[in-house]
Amino acid sequence: MLPAFQHQFWLGLRDVSPLAIGVAVYGLAFGLLAAQAGMSELQVGAMGGLVFAGSSQIIAVERMTAGAGAAAAIIAGLALNLRLILITASIRDIYRGLPWWRVVLGAHFASDENWALLLARRARGQEAGYWYLVGAGAGLMVTWICASVAGVAFASAIPEPRALGMDFAFAAAFIAIMRSLWRGRTDLLPWAVSAVGVAALVMTETIAASWAIIIGGLVGAAVASIRAHD
Amino acid sequence: MTEMTTDPTLIILVLAAGTLSVRLLGVVIGQGLPTEGAWARALNALPGCLIVSLVSVILASGGRREWIAGAIALGVAIPTRSLPLTMIAGIAAIWTLRHFGIAA
Repeated sequence: MLPAFQHQFWLGLRDVSPLAIGVAVYGLAFGLLAAQAGMSELQVGAMGGLVFAGSSQIIAVERMTAGAGAAAAIIAGLALNLRLILITASIRDIYRGLPWWRVVLGAHFASDENWALLLARRARGQEAGYWYLVGAGAGLMVTWICASVAGVAFASAIPEPRALGMDFAFAAAFIAIMRSLWRGRTDLLPWAVSAVGVAALVMTETIAASWAIIIGGLVGAAVASIRAHD
Repeated sequence: MTEMTTDPTLIILVLAAGTLSVRLLGVVIGQGLPTEGAWARALNALPGCLIVSLVSVILASGGRREWIAGAIALGVAIPTRSLPLTMIAGIAAIWTLRHFGIAA
């Protein structure tokens, strides 16, 4: 019998494996972009481990290649990461009462995919806590680093993710996770407000997509807060 | 004008420090909020609303094909609740629509 924390770590690692394929494809694409920005394998690998936020890494490097300058690249990357505030805030229970270094480690490993998997597992009534998040996060990080370093090394021989339909991998994964988070009729109004509000903001090009996600999440949560329980 | 040179190492380090701060800020905010009442209801509803927003952004910035593939993926997700099956259905659908030039 494994100790409980090891068991949770391996469960996280197992559950994240279908997503690792999508992460690997994006890692390759990111490596390709980073190679164009003149980054070395070491720099790309270090960025994956230290920043560990795929979409913000992609946008920061894209801004660099566009000649936007260091400040613009950093601001664009950080703006995309503001949603991580809501992500770690929403799983506050797993950080409670831990020593500071475990809080830092667990916060660093929190990303969209393993956070959503943790919630989905809980929605099925199964246990998922700190080590589940870290296990799934470690799987994501290793995959992300290896794939992006490989992307730099084989920059000339890689097809675009779009050509394989792999750009839709995350959309499909989030749709599956959305399904498992459905708690019943009380979710209907907040979810509808989030979905319609975000779609309107994006389609009318009112604000950038990364802000629309944050606003959509907050407005939906606000609607949920003012509704009394049935 | 000389070509703009940006040192990737500097950008990596600043972005890494900033991103970790953002993640930790969420932990701090989360611990400070009460566990009952309106705030707790909002925080409990937040994950679902964020995921819905994420899906909505992806679909709204895509075209008709993304909407169709999204509907097919949802059609698989609702009865099966399966992550791998939903991913396979969604990717197969978008690939088929693009490859055969359907619903451009």
